Amino acid sequence: MQRLARLGIFLAVWEAIGRWQLIGSGALPPPSAILVQFWADRAVYPAHVWATFWPAGIGFLIGDAAAILLAIAFVLVPVLERLLRGFNIAIFAIPPITLSPLLVVAFQGTTPQIVLAAVTVYFPTMIATLIGLREIDPRFADIIRAYGGGTFTILWRVRLRAALPSIMTGLRIAAPSAVLGAILAEFGSGSRWGLGSFLLGSMGQANPARLWGIGLCATALAACGYLVFSLLGALAAPGTAATTMAIRRDPAAEGGKTQGPLVVRLALMLASFLMPFLLWQGVLDLLQISPVIARGPLGVWRVLVTGFDAADERAALVAALEQSVPVSILGMAIGIGGAFVLALVTVVRPAVGRALMPPSLLLQTMPLVALTPLVVLVLGRGLTATLTIVFAVTFFPAFLVMAQGMANTPRAARDVIQVYGGGALQQIWLVGLPSSIPYLFAAARLVAPSALLGVITAEWLATGYGLGNLLNEARGELDYGMIWAVAFASVAVSVIFYLLVQAAETLINRRFFG
Amino acid sequence: MSSGTAPEGIRIVGATKSFKLDGAPFLALQSTDLAVAQGQLVAVIGPSGCGKSTLLRLIAGLEPADGGDILVDGWTPAEAARRGVLGIAFQDPALLPWRSVLANIALPLQVLGRNVAEAKGRIAELIALVGLRGFETARPSQLSGGMRQRVAIARALVTEPSVLLLDEPFGALDQILRRNMNLELQRIWMRQRSTTLLVTHGIDEALFLADRVIVMQARPGRIAASIDVAFPRPRPLSLFSAPEFAALTAQVADALHTGEG
Ligand SMILES: Nc1ncnc2c1ncn2[C@@H]1O[C@H](COP(=O)(O)OP(=O)(O)OP(=O)(O)O)[C@@H](O)[C@H]1O
Ligand SMILES: [Mg+2]
Repeated sequence: MQRLARLGIFLAVWEAIGRWQLIGSGALPPPSAILVQFWADRAVYPAHVWATFWPAGIGFLIGDAAAILLAIAFVLVPVLERLLRGFNIAIFAIPPITLSPLLVVAFQGTTPQIVLAAVTVYFPTMIATLIGLREIDPRFADIIRAYGGGTFTILWRVRLRAALPSIMTGLRIAAPSAVLGAILAEFGSGSRWGLGSFLLGSMGQANPARLWGIGLCATALAACGYLVFSLLGALAAPGTAATTMAIRRDPAAEGGKTQGPLVVRLALMLASFLMPFLLWQGVLDLLQISPVIARGPLGVWRVLVTGFDAADERAALVAALEQSVPVSILGMAIGIGGAFVLALVTVVRPAVGRALMPPSLLLQTMPLVALTPLVVLVLGRGLTATLTIVFAVTFFPAFLVMAQGMANTPRAARDVIQVYGGGALQQIWLVGLPSSIPYLFAAARLVAPSALLGVITAEWLATGYGLGNLLNEARGELDYGMIWAVAFASVAVSVIFYLLVQAAETLINRRFFG
Repeated sequence: MSSGTAPEGIRIVGATKSFKLDGAPFLALQSTDLAVAQGQLVAVIGPSGCGKSTLLRLIAGLEPADGGDILVDGWTPAEAARRGVLGIAFQDPALLPWRSVLANIALPLQVLGRNVAEAKGRIAELIALVGLRGFETARPSQLSGGMRQRVAIARALVTEPSVLLLDEPFGALDQILRRNMNLELQRIWMRQRSTTLLVTHGIDEALFLADRVIVMQARPGRIAASIDVAFPRPRPLSLFSAPEFAALTAQVADALHTGEG
């Protein structure tokens, strides 16, 4: 009831703002106008929704099937996970929009959308499945082994079932990503149907109500996917948690840790580094994409280092990086910083956390990057728009990770401080802050690629600046070498950032958390 | 059922086990010899951390021994496990939380590839035996700690094992239930005559149930004494208050405490 009232107030305020054109002189239309426009467009919506939903769904299935099967393989053969770690990080770090022009020239029809959706869902599902399969109660494995069961019996009778809630969490995050991937693939494709195409096609029409209708429709599609897997997850959850605590950790959970002599570890690291490049070349060879279009690792090397105009290309790329990277870092710092402060507040005022959690969950499922046209509509084509997008795509996931993490810190720890007369600030300083550090890093690692994605998308669609602009220009000039170079550079930046955060994380953890 | 190459029961010769503790080896079990004859019930008692659970895990093949020989019904522990010779209940019930009571008890049969449908009657009998009739479809999270422990005991018995390993199976039960379960275990054991190794913290429980009580000491974990218990079976609950029982209790307590000084 209270929620309904809140929703009513929210809609009324929105209506008022829209009616009197308080924001961006009409860039934010009132909900009633959006509904009216939606009704007027009702004939075309089904086709657009279907053109996004269908490839997103297929890509979701393919990407998740690959993710789950590989996660199983990683548990059965831990060295495989070591070998493919570089590949996994690279897939995670790809800003999908940089793949979009490549996919569009290499494939026809809905294939680019399917591929991009599959690529975006792979990592969240794989990592959630892997954690679920690994972190089983070791006593369960003991029982199976006492009756002669081996690795496969443990997988079949214990791991798969125990991992179910975790898998559902992965799918829940993956479902909105699939919608986002499919829409981003439409941006470069020039195809007529799909919510992304609809959005781009409506950008110049001075019809904000239509843009908002499309944006809300895309959000609803993504949120549906999220909800479906939330419900399935809730069904899988009861009775999965053990009734008592295990003291030992399952040895297989250590599978990810590096062991063995130094030579072997170095060899594995090298192999893991080379693997993404081998797979990159391998996919190109396998698909026999025309060499005019396709560039393998050596091709990109030629473009940037040994080619006859390599110096120019390099200069253009470096200039673009110098524009995009600082904005990404700035936007991300604001997003994570804001989320961090808010998460700390939730430590001493849990009510704030409870109030903010549901809207954050909803906003996190929004294909925000795909809504860049809306943000541009409201905020114009300047730096503010870019920063806003980066803030939006980093803030909510970061807040969720940190708030949920801190909610797990024992209430008793804070009570101890309260009993000795400590106030809110002391509780934050002595308990909130230390317990939040690991989650701060986790959040930074999680959102770094999204930040870059947000910047590149905004640059492409609106600001005409940096990597996104370079990508868009190269696309216009059919400069495939440059498209590949930009894609490669974006992934490289993202991976480097990931590794830096991880290194800092390991350092701090070793320093302070034994 | 078993046709090992050596005498049946449990035979341990010179088994040792150490763990890595902060990089340094920690001797959890010093060279240990132990023989439990076929059909014998041996209780193991000792201070916390003296290696009782470790000994059990070695016999069950859950940890490899660093050295020495372990034979279970003449088989190596791993082979014995594969043949379904063993039944085991841990210190902690460790029930699969997503399975019902019924399905949890059936788990060993499934792992061994035996027919669960054929064992239906037997499982029902076991559920009745441990006093859980009416809870067949309940999940572990819906049971009390003691009820969970009883499910674990039923699970240990479901394969009609010829060697039964019980690690403080009654630790979570209250005194009255514990006495009753002692009686029940004696009844089941007299019918089935499984070779049984029972780890316990209760001297009275050990003396009530066992043919022999093994006393262990810590640092390093080792067997310090072996005391035969010759009370005729079936033993009634009144045995707990018999004078010869008290005398034997004192003897075990003595053996337990001499190691500590
Ligand atoms: N996996 C392990 N890694 C390291 N040390 C272990 C491991 N398992 C057992 N230990 C050590 O071996 C010793 C014996 O442990 P064990 O569990 O066998 O004791 P216990 O006699 O069963 O004690 P309790 O009566 O408390 O159950 C302990 O000191 C313990 O710390
Ligand atoms: Mg123990």
